[in-house]
Amino acid sequence: MAADSKSAPLLVTGYGMLSALGSGRAAHLERLASGTTGLGPSPIPLDFQTAVGAVADELAELPREMLPWSTRLARMSAALLAQIEEPLRRARERWRPERIAVLLGTSTAGAETTERAYRELVRSGDFPGDYDFHRQHTFGAVLHVVRELAGARGPSWMASTACTSSGKTFASARRLLEAGIIDAAIVGGVDTLCAMTLQGFQSLQALDAGPCRPFSAERGGISIGEGGAFALIERQGDPRVLVEGVGETSDAYHISAPHPEGEGARAAMAMAIGQAGCRPSDIDHVNTHGTGTGLNDAAEAKAITAVCGTALPVVSTKAFTGHTLGAAAALEFAFAACAIEEGWIPPALGADPVDPEIGLSIPTAVTRGDFRRVISNSFAFGGNNVSLLVGAP
Amino acid sequence: MKVAITGVGLWTPHCRSAAAWAAGERSAQEQKPVGIAYDKRNRRRVSALGRAIGDAVEEAMLEAALDPVTTPVIVGSSIGEASTMIGLLDQMWRTKEPMSPAAFSVSVHNAASGMLSISKKNVGFTTSIAADHDTPAAGLIEGIGLVATTGAPVAVVCADEASPRSLLRRAARHWDMLAAAVVLAPADAGRGRATLSLPAVGLAATAGGEVDDTLIANPQVGLLDLVVAVLGGEDRAVALDRGAGRGHGVTLTFGAGR
Repeated sequence: MAADSKSAPLLVTGYGMLSALGSGRAAHLERLASGTTGLGPSPIPLDFQTAVGAVADELAELPREMLPWSTRLARMSAALLAQIEEPLRRARERWRPERIAVLLGTSTAGAETTERAYRELVRSGDFPGDYDFHRQHTFGAVLHVVRELAGARGPSWMASTACTSSGKTFASARRLLEAGIIDAAIVGGVDTLCAMTLQGFQSLQALDAGPCRPFSAERGGISIGEGGAFALIERQGDPRVLVEGVGETSDAYHISAPHPEGEGARAAMAMAIGQAGCRPSDIDHVNTHGTGTGLNDAAEAKAITAVCGTALPVVSTKAFTGHTLGAAAALEFAFAACAIEEGWIPPALGADPVDPEIGLSIPTAVTRGDFRRVISNSFAFGGNNVSLLVGAP
Repeated sequence: MKVAITGVGLWTPHCRSAAAWAAGERSAQEQKPVGIAYDKRNRRRVSALGRAIGDAVEEAMLEAALDPVTTPVIVGSSIGEASTMIGLLDQMWRTKEPMSPAAFSVSVHNAASGMLSISKKNVGFTTSIAADHDTPAAGLIEGIGLVATTGAPVAVVCADEASPRSLLRRAARHWDMLAAAVVLAPADAGRGRATLSLPAVGLAATAGGEVDDTLIANPQVGLLDLVVAVLGGEDRAVALDRGAGRGHGVTLTFGAGR
């Protein structure tokens, strides 16, 4: 079967989310509906101005036996897992543990813990007593925590393709289900704020000094955020939403800049639509990658215009949460799912006045409608592109 | 579920290719990877890890006679661009210099896979994954999923740079850099070097063969073991980690038994 031919949709039987807007679906809906951003001052000391999306909710400590693995990333993961515990319990009754996969995405992994430990090493000549590279830094550390807490024994890995990481996990789940390797998967992603990414994006002159304003004529760049979303995918069950297509492409253009015509993005959206077996005119809304840099916004606008036209409402939710990097695709999948389940999409916060060069329909107020099919875009360093097509059951 | 292995490649500090390994050629002196898969511009930018990845995957894809413009590539690495990250940490905390935007751009885990796709002008699928010592098993499972759903070959390359001494405690076991690659394809009648099963936990499997002591703790040694076992040409079950992972193994079948 070709990567862009119609395939069976993924059944999403549960999902949870955590970001600067709060913990859980209800908290997010409230802030999205009221147009209240989660962006604010950075809890990490910086010598430049920027707004970040920090998770303010207190994160519960891991169970005693998992304390050596306890990092902010692991505690966020545990909080996300708790939000899908009820459907996960039913899945455990339905499927054998070795048929339940854990496929997650992150870009920072344990960098937040390591950079604090390294700072202490430079200051005092030794790491903090509880620092453990293998249990706190590596990608596998969080996998271990999630597998243990979830009781899942199937295939597990972290996708780390920068800002598309968590989108990749939906595609992997689709392949493993279709190949008969698994019956269920916990997918999604999580990332934490850290000084290294903030300073890195500042070095690229990509950060807005204030809250980001994607697609605005007055935008100034990205705001970084943290958080994530997990979803439970099952072979059978009572789905809340479907993932009808996942487009995966590469720009093959530049390590950190998008293709200026949005070629890879266009191809990813077309692939997702092909897998869904629908037409571009069936797409009701796009939750954009929409980082708020001039290059990204322009390239994505060209891609959306080429595939879907200019009439459908297009919103970036990064003005609410910040760019959660490796977790962004999963978090924005959750916002797409909310649009379908709730029948409204949030305003494009900060987009007013909209950049006239963009040429898309960017609503700056809540838009109500029957959203049956929503595309969520994520694009990354390395020229990596993922488009998720989320549909109503 | 089975697939064919139609190409193999490797790079270690004392052996620059699978062909050299099969011929028993070892260099007494430590070598550096070339990064043969990259164009000149990206070869300058890519890390030593990325170059080793490029050398191993290029050898495997050449043997399988694949078009790099269209072949999907899965890159597995446990710690990714750790040296680059340590350089950034030094800039932040030790030398307090402004962070290098070029270094930040290639600090991402998918730097090598991204630069491979740019060098080869491959606008299709590529990914970068990690699962500590289970990365070889994860890469093969993702690869088998791709082969099963697309019917097309896929290259899987796993690599880790030498252990990051400045992040590990003194007592930690250290390792040298290695990269190993296989090309997986549909298991059509007798095609390729061998037939490979889906990785499974609990298989009675053993390590692929003799590898340098300095490579045994590398999280990707399981894929090197698989490549060595493929070169060995005997039907057997191969362990995909050396005791530090979840215990995945695969069966390799050659000749008429396939």
